[in-house]
Amino acid sequence: MSARAPAPLLGAALAVLRKDLLAEWRTRIAVNALFLFAFAVLVLVGYAVGPTRLAPEDRPTVNAVLLWIVIFFSAMTGLARVFVKEEEGGTAAALRLAAPPAAVLLGKYLVNIVLLFAVTAFIVPLFLVLTSFEIACPALFAVLLVLGCLGLAGASTFTAALVSKAAAKGALFAVLSIPLLLPPLIAAVSGTQVAAREADFSAGVDFVRVLVAYDGVVTTAAFALFDAVWRE
Amino acid sequence: MRAVKSLGLAAKWLLGLGMAAICWGAFLYARPAQSFVGESSRIVFFHVPQAWVATVAFFVAAWYSGMYLRRRRIEDDDAASAAARLGFLFCVLATVTGSIFARVMWNSYWNWDPRETSIVLLLLVYGAYLGLRGALEDPERRAALSAAYALVAVVTVPFLVFAVPRMYQSLHPDTVINAEGKVKMSSDIRLIFFSSMVAFMGLFYWMWNLDRRVSRIVRERTA
Amino acid sequence: MRLVVDGLTRSYGARRIFGPLSFEVRGGTVLGVSGSNGSGKTTLLKTLSGLIRPSAGSTKILLEGEEGAGSGPRDVPWCIGWVAPDLALYGELTAEENLDFFERVRGRASSRAKDLLAGVGLPESSYSKKSLSSLSTGQRQRVKLAYATLHDPAVLFLDEPSSNLDADGVEVVARVVASQRSRGIAIIASNDPRDLALADETLSL
Repeated sequence: MSARAPAPLLGAALAVLRKDLLAEWRTRIAVNALFLFAFAVLVLVGYAVGPTRLAPEDRPTVNAVLLWIVIFFSAMTGLARVFVKEEEGGTAAALRLAAPPAAVLLGKYLVNIVLLFAVTAFIVPLFLVLTSFEIACPALFAVLLVLGCLGLAGASTFTAALVSKAAAKGALFAVLSIPLLLPPLIAAVSGTQVAAREADFSAGVDFVRVLVAYDGVVTTAAFALFDAVWRE
Repeated sequence: MRAVKSLGLAAKWLLGLGMAAICWGAFLYARPAQSFVGESSRIVFFHVPQAWVATVAFFVAAWYSGMYLRRRRIEDDDAASAAARLGFLFCVLATVTGSIFARVMWNSYWNWDPRETSIVLLLLVYGAYLGLRGALEDPERRAALSAAYALVAVVTVPFLVFAVPRMYQSLHPDTVINAEGKVKMSSDIRLIFFSSMVAFMGLFYWMWNLDRRVSRIVRERTA
Repeated sequence: MRLVVDGLTRSYGARRIFGPLSFEVRGGTVLGVSGSNGSGKTTLLKTLSGLIRPSAGSTKILLEGEEGAGSGPRDVPWCIGWVAPDLALYGELTAEENLDFFERVRGRASSRAKDLLAGVGLPESSYSKKSLSSLSTGQRQRVKLAYATLHDPAVLFLDEPSSNLDADGVEVVARVVASQRSRGIAIIASNDPRDLALADETLSL
């Protein structure tokens, strides 16, 4: 036996990502549930609001909010699984011993990013079509989607780790995530409203800044505090 | 030891009498302020200190959360959770008094004014923290996890306080702006107001100490 | 190398699970930990391996030629191996995929899975293309032994290692413990006489 250096972080994180995606692909239960949920909400919203029920000047405001609500609730449905499954399946101990904590968090964060991007890529085109939501500045919209999803995934992964060790996991996940996620959601919604109205990217650049700052701050805090959460 | 005890007792009496004096002064000594509707300015003597205490309590909770993670002393967790429970209480009070004030001043209970929004977000954070604690049985796990949550929540506070209001102002140029901070206070109002701030801080400190002591006693008794 | 335990205690509230314990285990030794159910054997192993934080005291591992205070188990995770009844591996993946994953996550080249599984007496036909959850409990226990040793840990913790194993399986455990003796330290917690027979020294809780 010899003294060996700790495992490289990125490699370990990618191993976690690969393993989770592989396991998810094998069973597909959670992913199916997630997409079905997103689809159901889309149908509801699309039917209730549709392309004609809103006055044109109200569409940017209302549609932006509805879109992010669909994305947000899909996140609340699907993103806790990364940690809850480990604790409920009893595999958390094996992972705890084998992987550096930061690699676990990074790996799970990447899993949630992949999941959320996939669901968002599914939701957004359908939403735009179902509600005839016109976006004046697609570039700003795309940037907001990416940054918003990164922020959602970042905070959710952390609260998922918290919730996985508690009772009442389902309800508690949303309760814990909402206060952390309101700032980026408000920025994303407001920015999307601007992107729908104005063709000029710089009109919404403030919201982009807020999202970048938020994503950076919360991700850093999550990594700093994860050890206290992950280990007994 | 006895000197400290009598000092504590004297302080409590002072606090009690002081609060009584402030209540009297708020209604019978201070004159109603100019730019307010009727007598509604009197609520400021209570509403602002409550909001202030709710905010301070949050930082106290975050501080002791950090201390707990560093030192792993359960007394630090007692202090953090006590601050959070009280902060929640004062936050509810601040929200309710603020809403009453808004109704009288601007004829609507809620406006999504930047300050109103911030206090609601703070309320949500407190609720989440207490909800998390309620769902965790094991004392050490409860302490560590709620401490971690408090610290992550505290870094989002700058966004709640600074970024969100700015975004709202840019969207709603006709947002009703809370005029309290900008009112020039006459000397009688100023006296009652600052005394009330001090008294509410004293009240918080006293209740916080009580809560911590109760936590310790409960722990020792149920062991 | 040595494992040094100093005043190690674990309590839940006022309920003392074990301790304060102070002892030393030298390299090349197998320590058996015996005690009735609920005596804290599993908690002790979890505390020694770094899975649980102690309430008081410390565990230090000193490797060959190392001077000074040594490192706590959480600082040297590559030195720790652990197998126990409540350890679960990923049921949806095959045995091979499980070991590949744990090798990668420990920063090792992932190629030894087949050899490792052969080493615990599992021929490829028994696990190939089968999800881990479809294997028998005894087969899963062997895979867990492979998981615990794939990184050649200096200290191997075994909690009830012979549980659910047939005579062949028990032999595998004996083999694993013997090779661990030449590598470092093994600590076995069990009430099973077959497990405790492998120990050089015993500690009773």
